[in-house]
Amino acid sequence: MDNVNLVVEGLKFMVLGMTTVYLFLLLMVFVLNIISKIVKKYFPTKKLSPIYTKREAPKISNSTQDNDAVVAAIVASIQEFKKQN
Amino acid sequence: MKNLIFVFLTFFAISFLANPLYASSSENSVQTHKVVQDNQHEVKSISAMFSNFYKTTGIYAFLNPRDGATNALGEPLSKFAQSWGRIIMIFITFLLFYLAIAKGFEPLLLLPIAFGGLLANIPLADIIGHHGFIGTLFDAGIKNELFPLIIFMGVGAMTDFGPLIANPKTALLGAAAQFGIFGSLVGAVALSQYTPLFDFTLKQASAISIIGGADGPTSIFVASKLSPDLMGAIAVAAYSYMALVPIIQPPIMRLFTTKEERKIKMVQLRDVGKIEKLMFPLTVLILSILILPESTPLIGALTFGNFARVSGVVDRLSGTMQNALINIVTIFLGLGVGSKLAAEKFLVADTLGILALGLVAFSIGTMAGVLMAKVMNKFSKDPINPLIGSAGVSAVPMAARVSNKVGMESDPTNMLLMHAMGPNVAGVIGSAVAAGVLLSIFK
Repeated sequence: MDNVNLVVEGLKFMVLGMTTVYLFLLLMVFVLNIISKIVKKYFPTKKLSPIYTKREAPKISNSTQDNDAVVAAIVASIQEFKKQN
Repeated sequence: MKNLIFVFLTFFAISFLANPLYASSSENSVQTHKVVQDNQHEVKSISAMFSNFYKTTGIYAFLNPRDGATNALGEPLSKFAQSWGRIIMIFITFLLFYLAIAKGFEPLLLLPIAFGGLLANIPLADIIGHHGFIGTLFDAGIKNELFPLIIFMGVGAMTDFGPLIANPKTALLGAAAQFGIFGSLVGAVALSQYTPLFDFTLKQASAISIIGGADGPTSIFVASKLSPDLMGAIAVAAYSYMALVPIIQPPIMRLFTTKEERKIKMVQLRDVGKIEKLMFPLTVLILSILILPESTPLIGALTFGNFARVSGVVDRLSGTMQNALINIVTIFLGLGVGSKLAAEKFLVADTLGILALGLVAFSIGTMAGVLMAKVMNKFSKDPINPLIGSAGVSAVPMAARVSNKVGMESDPTNMLLMHAMGPNVAGVIGSAVAAGVLLSIFK
């Protein structure tokens, strides 16, 4: 063991290690790019569903404008309904 | 039905009758035992009793180290380790408390580690022995590498790989930063080859150099496999340097970049859909199965945690991994690693070497990441700010925050945080791969 040059051994480790790390991550980049192309082609971005489904309460709009619009729509549909009958 | 009740009642009656009988018989035996003991009890003067008691105190143990003493694990102890060594270590744990509490250095891990170290240096109590509580924690989860893997699961569940998926080529920065690991590996063996100071074997050097990955669980995982004796120093070095990222990295980052480069603005990241996020952990795992099965414990745990997170259907599980589970295991891991802060293990010249090499590993990693980013900036269509290269050392999310901060010093409107998260999380994968390579070499 004494006459083994440890530094040379260390350098060999370095070459092997860095090659593997780069190879691994390069492959990962490559595959990720392919996946992103496939996803773009076959699953085009509709509305992105949020990954984190925090259970949010459905938004109740408080602005009066929105409410007016809703009220108008309801009134209109009731009138339509009455006319039909 | 009546029969049943009758049977029960009889049982009751018998048990009532039997109980006093049994109790009295056991009392009798205790009494006879006591009598025997009392006969053997020597009559001592009160002063002799006090002096005997004094011999069981910590003061006596600190002041009167014995020859040929062993520690809780049956290993021989030097006189120094029994007295001054322990006292010095207790002060070192106080220093770690100070760093954790007053300076905010990774308190979540440094504090349990330091307290474990404090308990490990108590004489006579044998807390770190196989029957002591910290020794039991160590045997249960660190010796067999279980705890670091559970932490990795939690890290996976906490990490959003979105920025990396949006801009995959930044993963190469995470690869470059692993140069710190292998650079310091060469440094460690060179030190043992050409100087009489240290004598690290290749295994030990590998375990030390993984500090350069700036990843606590990975460091502990590798150290427990390759050189368990150095684990205390390695864990303390890894976590202290991770905490010191905001101090160590910026000077190196400024040294290797020009002011113009630091002002480079990057293109807004695109949104990443759920399908891609689901595919990511599977992709990484399949690649590691194909290329480096040795790293699959680490990468498997990481990707499992992340898969549970992005699946969106097991929020309870991913929530547990992110919070309760990782917290519990952090307590156990910290105390268990602290047991390696016993004087006889920590107060050796090797520790200084490990601290120094860890710092070198960290600096080389930062430098390699920044230089790689500069090279990529030359060849890439979209500009890449070299500052995000330093985030390739994995300390998540500290390293990314540092990139952001240094970037804002040059241009306050330049937000690099999300761009830096890409190399940052790639660094976690990169150091797991590097760990796998080192482990596979010694297989």
